[in-house]
Amino acid sequence: MRRTFPILVCFSFGMTMLVQFFVPSKLSTDAYNEITNWVQIIYAFALIVGVVGLLKYHFSRVSRRERGWFYNLVTVASLIVMSLLGFIGGRGDGGSFMWVFNNMMAPMQATVFSLLAFFVASAAYRGFLARNLEAFLLLFSAVMIMFGIASVGNAIPPFSDIANWILINPSMTARRGIFIGVGLGTIAVSLRVILGVERTYLGKE
Amino acid sequence: MSIWEKAKTLDRRIIFLFMFLGVGLPLLAKIGLPVSVTDDVRNVYNYIEKLEPGDIVLVSYDHDTGTLPEMIPMSDAILRHLFKKDIRVVGMALRAEGNGIGRQNIRRTSAEFDKTEGTDYVFLGFRPEITAAILGLGTSFEKVFPKDDRGIPVGELPLMNEVSNYNDVKLVISVTDDDTPVYWVNYANARFKVKVVAGLTAVMATTFFPFIDSGQMVGMVAGLKGAAEYEKLIKTPGRAARGMDAQSIAHLVMIGFIIIGNVAFIMRRRGK
Repeated sequence: MRRTFPILVCFSFGMTMLVQFFVPSKLSTDAYNEITNWVQIIYAFALIVGVVGLLKYHFSRVSRRERGWFYNLVTVASLIVMSLLGFIGGRGDGGSFMWVFNNMMAPMQATVFSLLAFFVASAAYRGFLARNLEAFLLLFSAVMIMFGIASVGNAIPPFSDIANWILINPSMTARRGIFIGVGLGTIAVSLRVILGVERTYLGKE
Repeated sequence: MSIWEKAKTLDRRIIFLFMFLGVGLPLLAKIGLPVSVTDDVRNVYNYIEKLEPGDIVLVSYDHDTGTLPEMIPMSDAILRHLFKKDIRVVGMALRAEGNGIGRQNIRRTSAEFDKTEGTDYVFLGFRPEITAAILGLGTSFEKVFPKDDRGIPVGELPLMNEVSNYNDVKLVISVTDDDTPVYWVNYANARFKVKVVAGLTAVMATTFFPFIDSGQMVGMVAGLKGAAEYEKLIKTPGRAARGMDAQSIAHLVMIGFIIIGNVAFIMRRRGK
């Protein structure tokens, strides 16, 4: 029963959402609206489960003094402090919550993100080598896009034309192929889940 | 050891230094490198330009703070265009951090045009679960967002009395650093036929070319370059134009290092 009931629930809701899309009527629209509301409510509860799981994981690492436990402590402390600031002082402009958000969180995240430029430059210098034809084509495309699209080369017709050709033809063709593959794969997996063939989401026996 | 062998073991701090100078110097000394406008950005501009004063546009902040330097100039430029044309803006967020970002961005930009919250613009706040939120808005904005970000019931906001669902919105703009516009296309455009525009980080741009080509998206503004193009179109130079100088020089530095690395690689192979 522990496995049968979730499969039945999944089948019922999966089929309801599938059928209502193709059968427009008041009943199907109402069912669709109701289920859409439920999803949001369930997701809110899932967030609570997520926060509890996160706290349990980090607390256990801190209590066992595992390697890097201090960072686990920072994570837990940050979560608690931000939650308290939000609940007590509110999230409005000018409050302490937004002060931490604007003056600590945003600059720190942007700093980490911007460090990428330095590491990418170093990695590109050492690793982006034309070792064979495939590597050369990849290298050529990357340099052309970088120069012809994202920088001053965009104002120079031969470079911008080559870069645009790469984006519009080989790149977009590959993207389309990936999207079609992802679409077909999603349909296949969805059907397997709805019909109860795919059961890994239920966890172990 | 030959110079080419030395190049192989070049101290990465030298590369970091050049990169630092490449990014830093153009920010200090304005260069003003040329920026040409691409069709994808022009399409967004033209679509907004054709909207009537009083039309309503939904702007969704679907990104986190890590990409703020790339995203905010873009949001600023688009919002300035919207407010300049007296188009009303409904803001929301599908990322938790987008809530704070979006609220401040809309309030700051609207203040430049003396717009009133509740009448000329609203910020509804954050909703989790992208798919359910996007689908829910197609039925009722009020059901998904019963109150705005300040806690005021949307029924008390004059602007929201004119917004029931996507039928009342002329355009959805998703400002994002991930593939959220795919959800907007799949659920809002495909099901409810609302027009979609994406404001993206540059690395995400290639994902969306097929959607623009198929007509599922009006256009996109990608990265700092896209933001600089938009600033050029609205004739209001801002942070993107300045940032583009730094980005262009940084790209040239990177290309230079790639070329040096490859020349050294070829010379080492010849030497063997």
